[in-house]
Amino acid sequence: MTTPDSELDKHLQALFGGLDTGADFDARLMARLRAESQIDATERAMRARQQERARYRRALMELQSWRRSMLRLLTLDTLGIALLLVVAVVTAWPHLSRDVMDISRQYGPYIATLLGVLIAAVPLLGMWAEQTRRPIRLL
Amino acid sequence: MLTDARVLELVRAERRDEAIALLLPAFRRKVFGLAYSFLRDREAAEDVTQEVFIKVWRALPGFDGRASLSTWIYAIARNASLSALRARRSHSSLSDSEVMDAVEAIDPAPSADAIVDRAALLRLVDQLPTKQRQVIMLFYMEEQSHEGVANMLAMPVGTVKTLLHRARTRMSAAAGK
Repeated sequence: MTTPDSELDKHLQALFGGLDTGADFDARLMARLRAESQIDATERAMRARQQERARYRRALMELQSWRRSMLRLLTLDTLGIALLLVVAVVTAWPHLSRDVMDISRQYGPYIATLLGVLIAAVPLLGMWAEQTRRPIRLL
Repeated sequence: MLTDARVLELVRAERRDEAIALLLPAFRRKVFGLAYSFLRDREAAEDVTQEVFIKVWRALPGFDGRASLSTWIYAIARNASLSALRARRSHSSLSDSEVMDAVEAIDPAPSADAIVDRAALLRLVDQLPTKQRQVIMLFYMEEQSHEGVANMLAMPVGTVKTLLHRARTRMSAAAGK
């Protein structure tokens, strides 16, 4: 014997039990996903290009700012120190003993090279000092 | 065989298409049923189902497996259905032609008697409050599983049972008039 509830169940089961998408649903979806996949790959390539361009711009700007700071240090600090060194050497030169003159003649190229290296290192030392300088703290 | 771990493994191996091919037979009908329970329109429900699977495909790389795949997919389906519902003009009940379309959508070749019976039944279902209507549709679509319906609608099993009981009582009373 069937109760009214089981009759209702049967009818509702018949009504909604077969609810499903159309037959071509999977094929349509897979076609859309293939299209999405292509768009996705294009977008990814475009994003990678943009990132690379931004990275190059950043690197270029960093290089330019480093060049600028080098030039600034060369004009102010290095020239002053080089001038002071030249003045010191010219002043001390006549007072040096013959031995010292002999040594300087013998090791002249080495001394010149050493001086060149020191002068070249001045801007770098200046930059290092600028970077490591801490802000002034009150109290 | 479909398991969350298998799907995650495919996603990690950048084989999303294979993951979707695995998910589709397991969830297509459920997602479509869920969308249909919100929209009551076959074409709109199919469109939403397509959108859901495309969203799932896009979001799969970000799926971390904290929630189960089914919970995650049903949440996407509910949100997509609600968005679609908001986007179209809401109508409170189905017109005669919509009832006939809906009956044909559910069963494309019913007999004349079946059309009359089903149209009457669909009208009864359509007159139910939204939650009761959704529970009734999904319960009979989901082979009468309370847990399945609860998972799809993100509500406790007890609530599903209560809504189902109320809907049945209401429909029996309306049919007996």
